[in-house]
Amino acid sequence: MIKFKDISAIHGYEDFALDIPELHIKDGEFVSLVGPSGAGKSTLLRLMTRELRPIQGEVLIDGVNIAELSHKEIPLLRRKIGTIFQDFKLLSKKNAFENVAFALEVSGVEPEQIIQDVPKVLNIVGLADKAKNFPHQLSGGEKQRLAIARALIHRPGIILADEPTGNLDMVNTYDVVKLLMKINEFGTTVVLATHNREVVNAVGKRVVSIDNGKIVRDQMEQGKYII
Amino acid sequence: MRKVIKRIWQAGWTNFKRNSYLSFGTTGVMTLVLLLFAGLMAVQYVSGQIVSGLENKVDVTAYFKQDASEGDILQVKQDLETRPDVQRVTYVSREQALEDFKAKHAGEPLIQQSLAELADNPLEASLNIKARESDQYAEIVSFLEGNKFRPVVDKINYYENETVIRRVQSIANGLRNWGLLATFLLAAIAILVTFNTIRLTIYNQRQEIEIMRLVGGSNSHIRAPFLIEGGLYGVFAGLAATVIFYPAVWFVSSKASSLLPDISLIGYFAANMIQFLLIVLGVGIILGVISSYIAIRRFLKV
Repeated sequence: MIKFKDISAIHGYEDFALDIPELHIKDGEFVSLVGPSGAGKSTLLRLMTRELRPIQGEVLIDGVNIAELSHKEIPLLRRKIGTIFQDFKLLSKKNAFENVAFALEVSGVEPEQIIQDVPKVLNIVGLADKAKNFPHQLSGGEKQRLAIARALIHRPGIILADEPTGNLDMVNTYDVVKLLMKINEFGTTVVLATHNREVVNAVGKRVVSIDNGKIVRDQMEQGKYII
Repeated sequence: MRKVIKRIWQAGWTNFKRNSYLSFGTTGVMTLVLLLFAGLMAVQYVSGQIVSGLENKVDVTAYFKQDASEGDILQVKQDLETRPDVQRVTYVSREQALEDFKAKHAGEPLIQQSLAELADNPLEASLNIKARESDQYAEIVSFLEGNKFRPVVDKINYYENETVIRRVQSIANGLRNWGLLATFLLAAIAILVTFNTIRLTIYNQRQEIEIMRLVGGSNSHIRAPFLIEGGLYGVFAGLAATVIFYPAVWFVSSKASSLLPDISLIGYFAANMIQFLLIVLGVGIILGVISSYIAIRRFLKV
Protein backbone atom coordinates (compact mmCIF):
# COMPACT_ATOMS: atom_id res chain seq x y z
CA MET A 1 0.00 0.00 0.00
CA ILE A 2 1.36 3.40 -1.05
CA LYS A 3 -0.11 6.54 0.50
CA PHE A 4 0.61 10.19 -0.26
CA LYS A 5 -0.68 12.63 2.33
CA ASP A 6 -0.69 16.42 2.14
CA ILE A 7 2.40 16.76 -0.01
CA SER A 8 2.90 20.42 -0.87
CA ALA A 9 6.60 21.12 -1.28
CA ILE A 10 9.81 19.25 -1.95
CA HIS A 11 13.36 19.76 -0.73
CA GLY A 12 15.55 21.21 -3.45
CA TYR A 13 12.56 22.08 -5.66
CA GLU A 14 10.93 24.72 -3.52
CA ASP A 15 9.61 26.59 -6.58
CA PHE A 16 7.71 23.60 -7.87
CA ALA A 17 4.10 23.85 -6.76
CA LEU A 18 2.94 20.38 -5.83
CA ASP A 19 -0.39 19.78 -4.17
CA ILE A 20 -1.28 16.18 -3.43
CA PRO A 21 -3.70 16.12 -0.49
CA GLU A 22 -4.27 12.39 -0.78
CA LEU A 23 -3.43 9.50 -3.11
CA HIS A 24 -3.72 5.82 -2.21
CA ILE A 25 -2.40 3.01 -4.35
CA LYS A 26 -3.48 -0.44 -3.25
CA ASP A 27 -1.32 -3.55 -3.40
CA GLY A 28 -1.48 -5.25 -6.79
CA GLU A 29 -2.91 -2.22 -8.55
CA PHE A 30 -1.79 -0.99 -11.97
CA VAL A 31 -1.85 2.79 -11.94
CA SER A 32 -1.04 5.01 -14.90
CA LEU A 33 0.04 8.52 -13.97
CA VAL A 34 -0.64 10.72 -16.96
CA GLY A 35 -0.15 14.33 -17.80
CA PRO A 36 1.96 16.66 -19.89
CA SER A 37 5.70 17.02 -19.40
CA GLY A 38 6.50 18.89 -16.23
CA ALA A 39 3.17 18.08 -14.61
CA GLY A 40 4.77 16.25 -11.71
CA LYS A 41 4.53 12.56 -12.67
CA SER A 42 8.22 11.84 -12.25
CA THR A 43 8.27 13.87 -9.07
CA LEU A 44 5.71 11.54 -7.53
CA LEU A 45 7.77 8.51 -8.51
CA ARG A 46 10.96 10.05 -7.18
CA LEU A 47 9.21 10.73 -3.90
CA MET A 48 8.56 7.00 -3.65
CA THR A 49 12.23 6.09 -4.12
CA ARG A 50 13.36 8.83 -1.74
CA GLU A 51 15.30 10.56 -4.50
CA LEU A 52 13.20 13.50 -3.37
CA ARG A 53 11.96 14.30 0.10
CA PRO A 54 8.82 16.29 0.91
CA ILE A 55 9.15 19.34 3.12
CA GLN A 56 5.62 18.76 4.31
CA GLY A 57 3.41 15.73 4.24
CA GLU A 58 4.05 12.01 4.21
CA VAL A 59 4.82 9.26 1.75
CA LEU A 60 3.93 5.94 3.33
CA ILE A 61 4.96 2.62 1.85
CA ASP A 62 3.58 -0.35 3.79
CA GLY A 63 2.97 1.99 6.70
CA VAL A 64 6.51 3.40 6.83
CA ASN A 65 6.93 7.13 6.32
CA ILE A 66 9.85 7.05 3.92
CA ALA A 67 10.49 10.77 4.29
CA GLU A 68 11.93 9.92 7.69
CA LEU A 69 14.32 7.21 6.54
CA SER A 70 17.99 7.78 7.31
CA HIS A 71 20.54 7.82 4.49
CA LYS A 72 21.56 4.30 5.47
CA GLU A 73 18.01 2.96 5.27
CA ILE A 74 17.33 4.29 1.77
CA PRO A 75 19.02 1.34 -0.02
CA LEU A 76 16.79 -1.05 1.94
CA LEU A 77 13.71 0.78 0.64
CA ARG A 78 15.00 0.76 -2.93
CA ARG A 79 15.58 -2.99 -2.82
CA LYS A 80 11.86 -3.45 -2.21
CA ILE A 81 10.99 -1.35 -5.26
CA GLY A 82 11.90 -2.00 -8.88
CA THR A 83 12.47 1.17 -10.90
CA ILE A 84 12.44 1.57 -14.67
CA PHE A 85 13.54 4.84 -16.29
CA GLN A 86 13.10 6.45 -19.66
CA ASP A 87 16.88 6.63 -20.12
CA PHE A 88 17.27 3.02 -18.88
CA LYS A 89 19.99 3.91 -16.36
CA LEU A 90 22.01 0.80 -17.09
CA LEU A 91 25.57 0.45 -15.84
CA SER A 92 27.53 0.96 -19.05
CA LYS A 93 30.65 -0.83 -17.78
CA LYS A 94 28.74 -3.96 -16.85
CA ASN A 95 27.26 -6.49 -19.26
CA ALA A 96 23.61 -7.54 -19.24
CA PHE A 97 24.15 -10.34 -16.76
CA GLU A 98 26.15 -8.13 -14.39
CA ASN A 99 23.63 -5.31 -14.60
CA VAL A 100 20.91 -7.59 -13.30
CA ALA A 101 23.23 -9.36 -10.89
CA PHE A 102 24.25 -6.05 -9.35
CA ALA A 103 20.75 -5.50 -8.00
CA LEU A 104 21.00 -8.86 -6.25
CA GLU A 105 24.57 -8.40 -5.04
CA VAL A 106 23.64 -5.23 -3.21
CA SER A 107 21.09 -7.21 -1.23
CA GLY A 108 23.75 -9.69 -0.20
CA VAL A 109 22.39 -12.59 -2.23
CA GLU A 110 24.77 -15.57 -2.50
CA PRO A 111 26.68 -15.84 -5.81
CA GLU A 112 25.26 -19.33 -6.45
CA GLN A 113 21.74 -17.93 -6.16
CA ILE A 114 22.62 -15.05 -8.49
CA ILE A 115 23.95 -17.44 -11.13
CA GLN A 116 20.65 -19.32 -10.92
CA ASP A 117 18.23 -16.38 -10.87
CA VAL A 118 19.67 -13.96 -13.42
CA PRO A 119 19.36 -16.20 -16.50
CA LYS A 120 15.76 -16.95 -15.54
CA VAL A 121 14.75 -13.32 -15.45
CA LEU A 122 16.76 -12.55 -18.61
CA ASN A 123 14.77 -15.33 -20.21
CA ILE A 124 11.49 -13.74 -19.10
CA VAL A 125 12.39 -10.46 -20.85
CA GLY A 126 13.74 -12.31 -23.90
CA LEU A 127 17.41 -11.50 -23.44
CA ALA A 128 18.72 -14.96 -22.58
CA ASP A 129 21.13 -14.90 -25.52
CA LYS A 130 22.41 -11.37 -24.79
CA ALA A 131 23.70 -11.96 -21.28
CA LYS A 132 27.28 -11.10 -22.22
CA ASN A 133 26.38 -7.98 -24.21
CA PHE A 134 27.14 -4.55 -22.84
CA PRO A 135 24.39 -1.89 -22.91
CA HIS A 136 25.92 -0.15 -25.93
CA GLN A 137 25.58 -3.42 -27.83
CA LEU A 138 21.82 -3.58 -27.21
CA SER A 139 18.96 -1.86 -29.04
CA GLY A 140 16.70 0.62 -27.25
CA GLY A 141 14.01 -1.99 -26.70
CA GLU A 142 16.52 -4.51 -25.43
CA LYS A 143 17.99 -1.96 -23.04
CA GLN A 144 14.58 -1.28 -21.57
CA ARG A 145 13.82 -4.98 -21.26
CA LEU A 146 17.15 -5.37 -19.49
CA ALA A 147 16.19 -2.55 -17.13
CA ILE A 148 12.91 -4.34 -16.46
CA ALA A 149 14.80 -7.55 -15.75
CA ARG A 150 16.89 -5.67 -13.24
CA ALA A 151 13.81 -4.17 -11.64
CA LEU A 152 12.20 -7.61 -11.39
CA ILE A 153 15.13 -9.60 -10.11
CA HIS A 154 14.48 -9.29 -6.41
CA ARG A 155 10.75 -9.84 -6.82
CA PRO A 156 9.77 -6.40 -5.58
CA GLY A 157 6.24 -5.64 -4.39
CA ILE A 158 6.24 -2.40 -6.36
CA ILE A 159 7.47 -1.51 -9.84
CA LEU A 160 7.82 2.16 -10.73
CA ALA A 161 8.15 2.92 -14.42
CA ASP A 162 9.01 6.48 -15.43
CA GLU A 163 8.24 6.99 -19.13
CA PRO A 164 9.61 3.53 -19.90
CA THR A 165 8.50 3.76 -23.51
CA GLY A 166 9.63 7.33 -24.10
CA ASN A 167 12.66 6.30 -26.15
CA LEU A 168 11.11 3.29 -27.89
CA ASP A 169 9.37 2.61 -31.18
CA MET A 170 5.86 1.16 -31.49
CA VAL A 171 6.86 -2.49 -31.44
CA ASN A 172 9.16 -2.16 -28.47
CA THR A 173 6.64 0.02 -26.63
CA TYR A 174 4.08 -2.72 -27.02
CA ASP A 175 6.57 -5.34 -25.71
CA VAL A 176 7.39 -3.29 -22.65
CA VAL A 177 3.75 -2.59 -21.81
CA LYS A 178 2.89 -6.26 -22.22
CA LEU A 179 5.72 -7.13 -19.84
CA LEU A 180 4.50 -4.63 -17.26
CA MET A 181 0.98 -6.01 -17.45
CA LYS A 182 2.29 -9.54 -17.04
CA ILE A 183 4.28 -8.46 -13.99
CA ASN A 184 1.14 -6.88 -12.59
CA GLU A 185 -0.86 -10.07 -13.15
CA PHE A 186 1.51 -11.86 -10.78
CA GLY A 187 0.47 -9.43 -8.04
CA THR A 188 3.10 -6.72 -8.26
CA THR A 189 1.92 -3.14 -7.88
CA VAL A 190 2.86 -1.18 -11.00
CA VAL A 191 2.94 2.60 -11.19
CA LEU A 192 3.50 3.80 -14.75
CA ALA A 193 4.17 7.45 -15.47
CA THR A 194 3.67 8.28 -19.14
CA HIS A 195 2.31 10.81 -21.57
CA ASN A 196 1.76 8.20 -24.25
CA ARG A 197 -1.97 8.11 -24.97
CA GLU A 198 -1.92 4.74 -26.80
CA VAL A 199 -0.12 3.06 -23.96
CA VAL A 200 -2.56 4.28 -21.33
CA ASN A 201 -5.60 3.41 -23.37
CA ALA A 202 -4.21 -0.04 -24.18
CA VAL A 203 -3.62 -0.81 -20.51
CA GLY A 204 -7.13 0.29 -19.56
CA LYS A 205 -6.68 0.29 -15.78
CA ARG A 206 -6.72 3.02 -13.13
CA VAL A 207 -5.59 6.37 -14.56
CA VAL A 208 -4.53 9.33 -12.42
CA SER A 209 -4.25 12.56 -14.38
CA ILE A 210 -1.86 15.20 -13.10
CA ASP A 211 -1.46 18.75 -14.26
CA ASN A 212 0.57 21.54 -12.71
CA GLY A 213 1.37 19.43 -9.68
CA LYS A 214 -2.28 18.66 -8.90
CA ILE A 215 -4.35 15.54 -9.36
CA VAL A 216 -7.08 16.65 -11.76
CA ARG A 217 -8.80 13.30 -12.34
CA ASP A 218 -8.66 9.80 -10.87
CA GLN A 219 -10.42 7.13 -12.95
CA MET A 220 -10.45 4.05 -10.76
CA GLU A 221 -11.24 1.52 -13.53
CA GLN A 222 -11.05 1.26 -17.29
CA GLY A 223 -9.32 4.64 -17.35
CA LYS A 224 -8.54 6.52 -20.51
CA TYR A 225 -5.98 9.20 -21.26
CA ILE A 226 -7.85 12.42 -20.54
CA ILE A 227 -6.38 15.67 -19.28
CA MET B 1 33.31 -12.58 4.62
CA ARG B 2 35.57 -14.24 2.07
CA LYS B 3 32.83 -14.06 -0.50
CA VAL B 4 32.37 -10.35 0.15
CA ILE B 5 36.10 -9.68 -0.25
CA LYS B 6 36.14 -11.77 -3.42
CA ARG B 7 33.21 -9.84 -4.86
CA ILE B 8 34.72 -6.46 -4.01
CA TRP B 9 38.08 -7.50 -5.43
CA GLN B 10 36.52 -8.83 -8.63
CA ALA B 11 34.34 -5.78 -9.11
CA GLY B 12 37.30 -3.45 -8.55
CA TRP B 13 39.60 -5.38 -10.85
CA THR B 14 36.95 -5.70 -13.57
CA ASN B 15 36.25 -1.99 -13.40
CA PHE B 16 39.99 -1.25 -13.61
CA LYS B 17 40.34 -3.42 -16.71
CA ARG B 18 37.22 -2.20 -18.48
CA ASN B 19 38.14 1.43 -17.89
CA SER B 20 41.49 0.64 -19.47
CA TYR B 21 41.88 4.06 -21.07
CA LEU B 22 41.11 5.94 -17.87
CA SER B 23 43.08 3.49 -15.74
CA PHE B 24 46.08 3.87 -17.99
CA GLY B 25 45.95 7.66 -17.80
CA THR B 26 45.46 7.76 -14.05
CA THR B 27 48.20 5.21 -13.44
CA GLY B 28 50.47 7.21 -15.72
CA VAL B 29 49.93 10.44 -13.80
CA MET B 30 50.43 8.62 -10.54
CA THR B 31 53.63 7.05 -11.83
CA LEU B 32 54.98 10.52 -12.55
CA VAL B 33 53.96 11.62 -9.07
CA LEU B 34 55.71 8.65 -7.47
CA LEU B 35 58.78 9.33 -9.60
CA LEU B 36 58.74 12.84 -8.21
CA PHE B 37 58.62 11.34 -4.71
CA ALA B 38 61.50 9.02 -5.56
CA GLY B 39 63.43 11.95 -6.98
CA LEU B 40 62.85 13.85 -3.75
CA MET B 41 64.18 10.86 -1.83
CA ALA B 42 67.31 10.89 -3.99
CA VAL B 43 67.78 14.64 -3.54
CA GLN B 44 67.27 14.27 0.21
CA TYR B 45 69.86 11.52 0.31
CA VAL B 46 72.41 13.45 -1.73
CA SER B 47 71.95 16.69 0.19
CA GLY B 48 72.08 14.76 3.47
CA GLN B 49 75.34 13.18 2.38
CA ILE B 50 76.78 16.54 1.36
CA VAL B 51 75.76 18.06 4.67
CA SER B 52 77.20 15.26 6.76
CA GLY B 53 80.31 15.26 4.60
CA LEU B 54 80.76 18.95 5.35
CA GLU B 55 80.06 18.44 9.01
CA ASN B 56 82.50 15.57 9.21
CA LYS B 57 85.24 17.88 8.11
CA VAL B 58 84.65 20.10 11.13
CA ASP B 59 86.36 19.30 14.42
CA VAL B 60 88.12 21.01 17.29
CA THR B 61 91.57 20.24 18.64
CA ALA B 62 92.85 21.17 22.08
CA TYR B 63 96.64 21.34 22.32
CA PHE B 64 98.29 20.70 25.66
CA LYS B 65 101.38 22.34 27.01
CA GLN B 66 104.56 20.35 26.68
CA ASP B 67 104.72 19.73 30.40
CA ALA B 68 101.16 18.48 30.72
CA SER B 69 101.10 14.97 32.14
CA GLU B 70 99.44 12.21 30.14
CA GLY B 71 97.23 11.46 33.16
CA ASP B 72 95.76 14.99 33.12
CA ILE B 73 95.13 14.85 29.40
CA LEU B 74 93.43 11.47 29.66
CA GLN B 75 91.36 12.87 32.53
CA VAL B 76 90.19 15.70 30.25
CA LYS B 77 89.47 13.11 27.56
CA GLN B 78 87.37 11.12 30.01
CA ASP B 79 85.47 14.25 31.10
CA LEU B 80 84.74 15.09 27.49
CA GLU B 81 83.58 11.60 26.69
CA THR B 82 80.89 11.73 29.36
CA ARG B 83 79.24 14.64 27.58
CA PRO B 84 76.28 13.59 25.36
CA ASP B 85 77.16 16.08 22.63
CA VAL B 86 80.65 14.64 22.14
CA GLN B 87 80.79 11.91 19.56
CA ARG B 88 84.46 10.98 19.71
CA VAL B 89 87.67 12.17 21.33
CA THR B 90 91.00 11.06 19.92
CA TYR B 91 94.15 11.41 21.96
CA VAL B 92 97.34 12.13 20.06
CA SER B 93 100.43 11.93 22.27
CA ARG B 94 103.49 14.04 21.61
CA GLU B 95 105.37 11.02 20.25
CA GLN B 96 102.49 10.12 18.02
CA ALA B 97 102.28 13.71 16.79
CA LEU B 98 105.94 13.60 15.91
CA GLU B 99 105.56 10.28 14.10
CA ASP B 100 102.64 11.65 12.14
CA PHE B 101 104.54 14.80 11.28
CA LYS B 102 107.53 12.80 10.10
CA ALA B 103 105.40 10.53 8.02
CA LYS B 104 103.59 13.47 6.51
CA HIS B 105 106.80 15.18 5.48
CA ALA B 106 108.75 12.04 4.64
CA GLY B 107 109.71 13.37 1.22
CA GLU B 108 111.07 16.68 2.45
CA PRO B 109 114.72 16.37 3.52
CA LEU B 110 114.90 19.94 4.80
CA ILE B 111 112.21 19.38 7.39
CA GLN B 112 113.63 15.99 8.31
CA GLN B 113 117.00 17.59 8.78
CA SER B 114 115.76 20.38 11.01
CA LEU B 115 113.82 17.86 13.09
CA ALA B 116 116.96 15.82 13.60
CA GLU B 117 118.78 18.88 14.84
CA LEU B 118 116.22 19.51 17.54
CA ALA B 119 117.07 17.78 20.79
CA ASP B 120 113.54 17.72 22.05
CA ASN B 121 110.18 16.91 20.48
CA PRO B 122 108.70 20.35 19.70
CA LEU B 123 105.16 19.11 19.22
CA GLU B 124 102.34 19.16 21.72
CA ALA B 125 99.96 16.41 22.71
CA SER B 126 96.40 17.04 21.60
CA LEU B 127 92.81 15.90 21.91
CA ASN B 128 90.82 15.88 18.70
CA ILE B 129 87.15 16.38 19.50
CA LYS B 130 84.25 15.51 17.25
CA ALA B 131 80.80 16.77 18.23
CA ARG B 132 77.57 15.07 17.23
CA GLU B 133 76.22 18.28 15.68
CA SER B 134 78.29 21.13 14.33
CA ASP B 135 76.48 23.71 16.45
CA GLN B 136 77.65 22.04 19.66
CA TYR B 137 81.30 23.03 19.37
CA ALA B 138 80.88 26.38 21.10
CA GLU B 139 79.48 24.68 24.17
CA ILE B 140 82.14 21.98 24.23
CA VAL B 141 84.83 24.62 23.98
CA SER B 142 83.35 26.63 26.83
CA PHE B 143 83.26 23.41 28.87
CA LEU B 144 86.96 22.99 28.18
CA GLU B 145 87.58 26.58 29.16
CA GLY B 146 85.90 26.02 32.49
CA ASN B 147 87.66 22.70 33.14
CA LYS B 148 89.98 22.42 36.12
CA PHE B 149 92.75 21.28 33.78
CA ARG B 150 92.45 24.49 31.76
CA PRO B 151 95.95 25.60 32.87
CA VAL B 152 97.59 22.68 31.05
CA VAL B 153 95.76 23.47 27.82
CA ASP B 154 97.90 25.54 25.54
CA LYS B 155 95.36 26.50 22.91
CA ILE B 156 92.12 25.43 21.35
CA ASN B 157 91.98 25.84 17.59
CA TYR B 158 88.23 26.54 17.67
CA TYR B 159 88.86 30.25 17.70
CA GLU B 160 90.81 30.10 14.47
CA ASN B 161 88.20 27.88 12.83
CA GLU B 162 85.14 29.52 14.28
CA THR B 163 84.07 31.41 11.15
CA VAL B 164 84.58 28.35 8.97
CA ILE B 165 82.60 26.19 11.37
CA ARG B 166 79.79 28.72 11.48
CA ARG B 167 79.68 28.96 7.70
CA VAL B 168 79.58 25.20 7.28
CA GLN B 169 76.86 25.12 9.84
CA SER B 170 74.72 27.69 8.09
CA ILE B 171 75.19 26.01 4.71
CA ALA B 172 74.23 22.69 6.23
CA ASN B 173 71.19 24.13 7.94
CA GLY B 174 70.18 25.98 4.78
CA LEU B 175 70.44 22.85 2.68
CA ARG B 176 68.48 20.89 5.24
CA ASN B 177 65.70 23.43 5.75
CA TRP B 178 65.24 24.45 2.14
CA GLY B 179 65.46 20.84 1.05
CA LEU B 180 62.74 19.95 3.52
CA LEU B 181 60.60 22.87 2.41
CA ALA B 182 61.01 21.97 -1.26
CA THR B 183 60.18 18.36 -0.45
CA PHE B 184 57.00 19.34 1.34
CA LEU B 185 55.95 21.70 -1.44
CA LEU B 186 56.53 19.16 -4.18
CA ALA B 187 54.88 16.44 -2.12
CA ALA B 188 51.84 18.68 -1.67
CA ILE B 189 51.70 19.31 -5.42
CA ALA B 190 52.03 15.58 -6.07
CA ILE B 191 49.19 14.78 -3.70
CA LEU B 192 46.94 17.42 -5.27
CA VAL B 193 47.67 16.17 -8.78
CA THR B 194 46.88 12.59 -7.81
CA PHE B 195 43.75 13.60 -5.98
CA ASN B 196 42.47 15.63 -8.91
CA THR B 197 43.23 12.92 -11.42
CA ILE B 198 41.35 10.34 -9.43
CA ARG B 199 38.55 12.79 -8.83
CA LEU B 200 38.16 13.22 -12.60
CA THR B 201 38.23 9.45 -13.07
CA ILE B 202 35.43 9.04 -10.58
CA TYR B 203 33.58 12.07 -11.92
CA ASN B 204 33.48 10.20 -15.22
CA GLN B 205 31.65 7.41 -13.48
CA ARG B 206 29.29 9.54 -11.44
CA GLN B 207 26.23 8.31 -13.31
CA GLU B 208 27.15 4.72 -12.65
CA ILE B 209 27.49 5.53 -8.98
CA GLU B 210 24.11 7.24 -8.90
CA ILE B 211 22.49 4.34 -10.71
CA MET B 212 23.98 1.95 -8.19
CA ARG B 213 22.37 3.99 -5.44
CA LEU B 214 19.04 3.99 -7.30
CA VAL B 215 18.92 0.21 -7.58
CA GLY B 216 19.52 -0.16 -3.87
CA GLY B 217 23.28 -0.24 -3.43
CA SER B 218 24.47 0.83 0.00
CA ASN B 219 27.31 3.33 0.19
CA SER B 220 29.86 0.83 1.44
CA HIS B 221 28.84 -1.67 -1.22
CA ILE B 222 29.30 0.86 -4.01
CA ARG B 223 32.42 2.42 -2.56
CA ALA B 224 34.51 -0.67 -1.88
CA PRO B 225 35.30 -1.59 -5.53
CA PHE B 226 36.26 2.02 -6.23
CA LEU B 227 38.69 1.95 -3.33
CA ILE B 228 40.20 -1.25 -4.76
CA GLU B 229 40.47 0.51 -8.10
CA GLY B 230 42.23 3.45 -6.44
CA GLY B 231 44.60 1.04 -4.71
CA LEU B 232 45.30 -0.68 -8.03
CA TYR B 233 46.37 2.63 -9.59
CA GLY B 234 48.83 2.88 -6.71
CA VAL B 235 50.16 -0.66 -7.14
CA PHE B 236 50.75 -0.34 -10.87
CA ALA B 237 52.11 3.18 -10.58
CA GLY B 238 54.46 2.03 -7.81
CA LEU B 239 55.78 -0.84 -9.91
CA ALA B 240 56.12 1.36 -12.99
CA ALA B 241 57.90 4.07 -11.01
CA THR B 242 60.38 1.51 -9.65
CA VAL B 243 61.05 0.11 -13.10
CA ILE B 244 61.73 3.60 -14.45
CA PHE B 245 63.55 4.96 -11.40
CA TYR B 246 66.34 2.40 -11.03
CA PRO B 247 67.79 2.67 -14.55
CA ALA B 248 67.48 6.47 -14.24
CA VAL B 249 69.38 6.45 -10.93
CA TRP B 250 71.99 4.17 -12.43
CA PHE B 251 72.43 6.58 -15.32
CA VAL B 252 72.57 9.69 -13.11
CA SER B 253 74.85 7.96 -10.63
CA SER B 254 77.42 7.10 -13.27
CA LYS B 255 77.42 10.71 -14.49
CA ALA B 256 77.54 12.21 -11.01
CA SER B 257 80.30 10.04 -9.62
CA SER B 258 82.98 12.37 -11.00
CA LEU B 259 81.24 15.33 -9.35
CA LEU B 260 80.48 13.69 -6.02
CA PRO B 261 82.97 10.84 -5.66
CA ASP B 262 82.03 10.11 -2.03
CA ILE B 263 78.37 9.52 -2.75
CA SER B 264 77.07 6.42 -4.46
CA LEU B 265 73.44 7.06 -5.32
CA ILE B 266 72.90 3.74 -7.04
CA GLY B 267 74.64 1.94 -4.18
CA TYR B 268 72.28 3.51 -1.68
CA PHE B 269 69.14 2.74 -3.65
CA ALA B 270 70.30 -0.74 -4.62
CA ALA B 271 70.93 -1.58 -0.97
CA ASN B 272 67.49 -0.31 0.00
CA MET B 273 65.53 -1.67 -2.95
CA ILE B 274 62.93 -3.55 -0.90
CA GLN B 275 62.33 -0.55 1.35
CA PHE B 276 62.08 1.68 -1.71
CA LEU B 277 59.51 -0.59 -3.32
CA LEU B 278 57.50 -0.78 -0.11
CA ILE B 279 57.54 2.99 0.37
CA VAL B 280 56.56 3.73 -3.22
CA LEU B 281 53.82 1.09 -3.21
CA GLY B 282 52.62 2.27 0.20
CA VAL B 283 52.47 5.91 -0.83
CA GLY B 284 50.75 4.97 -4.11
CA ILE B 285 48.14 2.76 -2.49
CA ILE B 286 47.37 5.18 0.32
CA LEU B 287 47.12 8.12 -2.09
CA GLY B 288 44.89 6.12 -4.44
CA VAL B 289 42.56 4.79 -1.79
CA ILE B 290 42.17 8.05 0.14
CA SER B 291 41.68 10.10 -3.03
CA SER B 292 39.02 7.67 -4.25
CA TYR B 293 37.31 7.72 -0.88
CA ILE B 294 37.08 11.50 -0.84
CA ALA B 295 36.16 11.81 -4.51
CA ILE B 296 33.32 9.30 -4.42
CA ARG B 297 31.62 10.82 -1.40
CA ARG B 298 29.69 13.51 -3.18
CA PHE B 299 28.15 11.11 -5.69
CA LEU B 300 26.78 8.85 -2.99
CA LYS B 301 24.27 11.39 -1.75
CA VAL B 302 21.41 10.33 -4.08
